[in-house]
Amino acid sequence: MSAGFALPASRLPRLASAMDDRWLLNACLWLPLAALLLFFVMPMGFIAWRSFMQEAGGIGLANYAALLDTPGVWRATRNSLAVGASTTLVTLLLGFVFAYGLERTCMPGRRFVSLSLTLPMLAPSLVLGLGLIFILGRNGIVGKVFGFRPEIYGFHGLVIANVLYALPQAVMILRAALRGADARQYDAAEVLGATPWRQFRDITLPGMRYGLLSAAFVVFTITITDFGNAVVIGGDYTVLATEIYNQVSGQMRFGIGAVVGLLLLLPAALSVWIERVAAQRQAGSGADGAQAPVPQPHRLRDGIYAIVCVGLSTLIVAVVAIVVVAGFIRLWPYRLDLTLRHYDITVSGGYASLWTALWVSLLAATLGVALLFLMAFAVRRLTGWPQRLATLLCALPVGVPGLVLGLSYVFAFNQPQLPWGVLYGSAFLLAMCNLMHYYTQGYVTMMTGVRGVPVQLEEAVGVLGGGVLQLLRDVYLPAVRVTLWSVAAFLFMRSMVTLSAVIFLITPMLSMAAVTVMRLDEAGFTAQAAAFSTCIMAVVGSVALLMHVLTTRAAARG
Amino acid sequence: MKLPVLHSLRLLSLTATVTALAAPLAQAGTIVAYTALEEDEIKEYVAAAKKDLPDVDVKVLRLSTGDLGARILAEAPNPQHDVIWGWALTNLLDPRVNELLEPYAAKGADKLSRSDRAADNKWFAATGYMAAFCVNTEVLKAKNLPMPTSWKDLTKPVYKGEVVMPNPVSSGTGYLQIAALIQKEGNEGGWKLLKSLDGNVAQYIKSGSRPCKAARAGEFAIGTSLAFAAMQSVEEGFPVKMVIPSDGAGYELEASGLMKTSKNKADARRFLDWTLSPTAATLYTKFKEIVTIPGTPQSKAAQAAGLPKDLSKVLYPVDFARSAKEREAILGTWQKEIGR
Repeated sequence: MSAGFALPASRLPRLASAMDDRWLLNACLWLPLAALLLFFVMPMGFIAWRSFMQEAGGIGLANYAALLDTPGVWRATRNSLAVGASTTLVTLLLGFVFAYGLERTCMPGRRFVSLSLTLPMLAPSLVLGLGLIFILGRNGIVGKVFGFRPEIYGFHGLVIANVLYALPQAVMILRAALRGADARQYDAAEVLGATPWRQFRDITLPGMRYGLLSAAFVVFTITITDFGNAVVIGGDYTVLATEIYNQVSGQMRFGIGAVVGLLLLLPAALSVWIERVAAQRQAGSGADGAQAPVPQPHRLRDGIYAIVCVGLSTLIVAVVAIVVVAGFIRLWPYRLDLTLRHYDITVSGGYASLWTALWVSLLAATLGVALLFLMAFAVRRLTGWPQRLATLLCALPVGVPGLVLGLSYVFAFNQPQLPWGVLYGSAFLLAMCNLMHYYTQGYVTMMTGVRGVPVQLEEAVGVLGGGVLQLLRDVYLPAVRVTLWSVAAFLFMRSMVTLSAVIFLITPMLSMAAVTVMRLDEAGFTAQAAAFSTCIMAVVGSVALLMHVLTTRAAARG
Repeated sequence: MKLPVLHSLRLLSLTATVTALAAPLAQAGTIVAYTALEEDEIKEYVAAAKKDLPDVDVKVLRLSTGDLGARILAEAPNPQHDVIWGWALTNLLDPRVNELLEPYAAKGADKLSRSDRAADNKWFAATGYMAAFCVNTEVLKAKNLPMPTSWKDLTKPVYKGEVVMPNPVSSGTGYLQIAALIQKEGNEGGWKLLKSLDGNVAQYIKSGSRPCKAARAGEFAIGTSLAFAAMQSVEEGFPVKMVIPSDGAGYELEASGLMKTSKNKADARRFLDWTLSPTAATLYTKFKEIVTIPGTPQSKAAQAAGLPKDLSKVLYPVDFARSAKEREAILGTWQKEIGR
């Protein structure tokens, strides 16, 4: 993502002591870049190598050729593109409404809307799948009330499920973009007599170009790499992610799976190029804003946004709530008396995995925020090939399906003769894997936030003789505090519930909460899986809330 | 001024986590077993094994058949487990897995029938599971449908859109169902049956137990799945009836073997012996429809399933070597002729 191109570093003020702490600036880049190389590029290198290892032995392009002969692969590609495009369109539209409603209007219920949007991020994918089936399935509530059997399985259901999954991530990015705008531009427009529509078209939209592009790219990519929804709601509708599963888990063939995994990186790489082109066109309109716009009450506008946002949020809450309720019901949907018996988890290990997951996820979130913040700062301040390399690499992780990422970690780290082999089977490696899984979303959000840091403040630091440290501490850190928090919460939540990569890294001694949900579900204890998911959501919610309170308090104290 | 103590504490706990949780090495007295057996049975087997072998700590990693296969093969250059315990024989016969195993004639393996153990002693199977339909009785009642008893029944037009099957390309259960039909009916008859079945199938689901879950939730009337899933659903109280198809229920053996790379072969061997012991056999009758250990009384599960004492009456004697060998060709044909 092109953040670095949005505001060429040459336009930024030179720091007084720039020569002295150039090394510090470089360290800000190379520390996260080294982590990215070790925990993403190196494992993916092993996948690339696998894609050339032929089933019959030897090295060559046989897997690439075999892919073309795999029945149904073109259909899966077409389907993936169709689902990806539709999901992106719907998600961007809704995401914009949500983000705008939350950041730029005084609509009532903002807190409710904001909280409900975290639900799809902190819910295990089983919850979203089950919830949709309970509501929209052939034997679901909607069908029962209206007396027919809805057909959710297939394209439409998949788009609904993916929108539900992708919407919060799009809103996270779009909100960061809206936060970076400059109130004075609107004031000027107001003075010049510009209509609200004109202001929206000429100020808001251009200012959000990057946010919209980034969000579109993230949504499209997570949709085409997602496996969880495709397998539960997709029915017979095959997509590339399920094709990889067929190859790897169905037929124990890594070659073609590796090829598809690499091909799925293409949209991510393409997006970097597209954004670079867009950045060149837009050069010169970097917002030097100091004050974020403060929304004024406007009854009609606020009312419309409230109806749409609160309405949709209620639907999101309903999907999750019905699964929570089912965890307290004796036998959904046949015997509806209340019970607590599903909370007596029967699989071995019980609730222990919940606490392991908690520590792993806190580690992932802490390391992630630190690395991403340094990365975003360095990418904005530096130029040259390392910066361009970092920009490219940061965009790629989102293009890797979890299953491929997990496999790549086994290939790369189950190597006792290599120094990093000692990490295999450790909680640290799990944390890094989860961080890499969601790295791009975190980076995009962070970059969008960093882009809004006012240049004047940087100038002030320069004039006062401050260096990189002062710049980080006094300008960047305070300016992106809200974004830091949202990235940390995002990484924490996703790390708690992600599954597809994790199943390759758990050991008998080290399991994760999402794995327990999967084990319960596979053993047929659906209600227990719902109950355990409820516990996960409760723990994640409490921790996120606690982190939020602590950060706000720390900030208030200064 | 930020709190420096807090910072160093955080740093300290970070390093502690990293070092403390860095890959624990296998210790004497500990073995790691990779298995695809079901959760509740594993729990009881491990507890019983602990009683009989108090000095051996059996650590278990449970994944579904397909996921476990990917994990085992990905780790093959440096395996992390000592034994494979109860994993689909069709998958274990894959040459890339088979070459990881070391021949070991477990105590009691010689008493197993020849089809239940390897000629070269690389594996033996103490238990197995079989295909079954999960039929939702409420949906049948609501739609006024008759109870199906065979695969042929499922091809009748009344069931159109109410049958869900596992996708054989992604699910071992799906493959064992169609492989048994093809072996029994012959190439031509088998594919003809599958194609006419296809007309009624609403969905090919990507896992073997999910069709049963879809049926028990009332999403569809019939899910072709496993007897285990059907019985578990009945026990949970769902309005489900288990039907063993009278014209050939496919089945799978759950094979175990010793890893060449095991660092604790002595204990690993003792554990493998244990899985054929009388204690184990008694426990198997609690969970398993198919127990291969001679002299084991008919299991509760088999009785509940209404199976005859002589299983060969309903189980088509699957040729596992053949079904492993033909897998790629059959799946290729399936994807071309039927796959969606």
